[in-house]
Amino acid sequence: MATRLMFENSCEVGVFSKLTNAYCLVAIGGSESFYSTFEAELADVFPVVKTSIGGTRIIGRLCAGNKNGLLLPHTTTDQELQHLRNSLPDQVVVQRIEERLSALGNCIACNDHVALTHTDLDRETEEMIADVLGVEVFRQTIAGNILVGSYCSFSNRGGLVHPHTSIEDLDELSTLLQVPLVAGTVNRGSEVIAAGLTVNDWTAFCGSDTTATELSVIESVFKLREAQPSALVDEMRKSLIDSYV
Amino acid sequence: MESSLKQKLFVCLLKGVVQADFVFFDPKPDDFHGVKILLQTYLDDTQWDLSGFVDLILAQTTVGTVVKIEGDDDDTPFAIVTALNLGRYKDHKCIKELKEFLLKVCQEKDVIRDLRLLMGEQAHDVGLLVSQRVVNLPPQLLPPLHDALFDEVSWATEDEPTAELRNSFRFKCYLLVSKIYKHKNANQKNNRNLIRRSGSDGGDGIVYIKPEDENFHKLSLWSFSFPMHTQQVETQEANYCLMGFVMAVETAKISTFRQQLQSLVVES
Repeated sequence: MATRLMFENSCEVGVFSKLTNAYCLVAIGGSESFYSTFEAELADVFPVVKTSIGGTRIIGRLCAGNKNGLLLPHTTTDQELQHLRNSLPDQVVVQRIEERLSALGNCIACNDHVALTHTDLDRETEEMIADVLGVEVFRQTIAGNILVGSYCSFSNRGGLVHPHTSIEDLDELSTLLQVPLVAGTVNRGSEVIAAGLTVNDWTAFCGSDTTATELSVIESVFKLREAQPSALVDEMRKSLIDSYV
Repeated sequence: MESSLKQKLFVCLLKGVVQADFVFFDPKPDDFHGVKILLQTYLDDTQWDLSGFVDLILAQTTVGTVVKIEGDDDDTPFAIVTALNLGRYKDHKCIKELKEFLLKVCQEKDVIRDLRLLMGEQAHDVGLLVSQRVVNLPPQLLPPLHDALFDEVSWATEDEPTAELRNSFRFKCYLLVSKIYKHKNANQKNNRNLIRRSGSDGGDGIVYIKPEDENFHKLSLWSFSFPMHTQQVETQEANYCLMGFVMAVETAKISTFRQQLQSLVVES
């Protein structure tokens, strides 16, 4: 089930949060409703941790992680690092890395098995990604963009990529990632998928400008709907009808 | 009706000269994202139906102008200007929230009565003048931009298909929501001797982010300022703080304003 929400007046929820299958990070300083929307969905399952990175709120774009680990940029302060180590489950390895390209969330897109990275990432960083996140790393571009972390978002069940990705690229990436991929948009036509959306294997959060059509594409490609037919119809209905007059 | 008023402009940078042709367009649905970014801090950091507000602005194609650069692949709006009749749109969620916000932030007792009247009983005669732009938009564009707006308003009073719509543009008064920098000691009379103010604020402790706001302010019926939570980029003057600024300007004063605007730009 996908939920629409806003951080202050911004629909870029993927900038202010990071969702994985084992934990969720949320930026400090949004209204309490932002944090409580995440809590409502996730609190029974795993911790929802409020944090900043390098004193900023754009945490979703600065860090990269999955159920195995979390990679933080060199701008992360010692207190933030300690806070995250204390708050996240023990099996999640939290590691701060020295990489010139410090917006790790923009440079790395990953699920629990595979990662796509910026073509200019250091060799050492690539090794760290493979070690800490336990993934196979591929240097790629998406529709000609090197910021793969910004223009695609994928979980273990499916993925959404930049709308201008060609069919050939889509097939190639799909084979690499071993999940079905769809080219689409979020937040009413925004191409920056990962900024507008944050997703894991059973739930997604996207900006409130996201149209009903975009939402149904997201729910379908990430397989967020229940399998039973009646539940399917109910879910479809919820996402197709915006408001009752 | 697409008016293409071109303003050739040479902007001198340290390394060379950039030529930019600015073009004025009617609002289109595609401008949604760009206009939304321009209006991001319109009501401070309040969570309100900004998307609905932008949709309203873009749906009104007869009055309203979006400024873009010719041949720009990105098609980004650099400025938006429009006038929305508060009575015509009073049932829209965004307008209701806007009215609530203004009544909440107005701290001045004498003004709040007038504000309530303007947005309530008199709403069908009031136009909300929305004008937002990128910080570095060349001031030479301001006179044609404002001329375009006020001309479109007067054309609409003749050209709109129904009498109701024609009347909805016969504004008696404009309401403006803007931002200024106010000197922190501006209200403290005893500190007059201790304040070292730069000449740029014109002596009243206010720096107008949009130059035409000074003209509007002088011609306004009333105005008030309110503190804002969002802080803009670091300014050199640490003694100034960003404040929201609301003014009401009678339509009768607009022709004076337009004349003043012409000379304002010639001087600078």
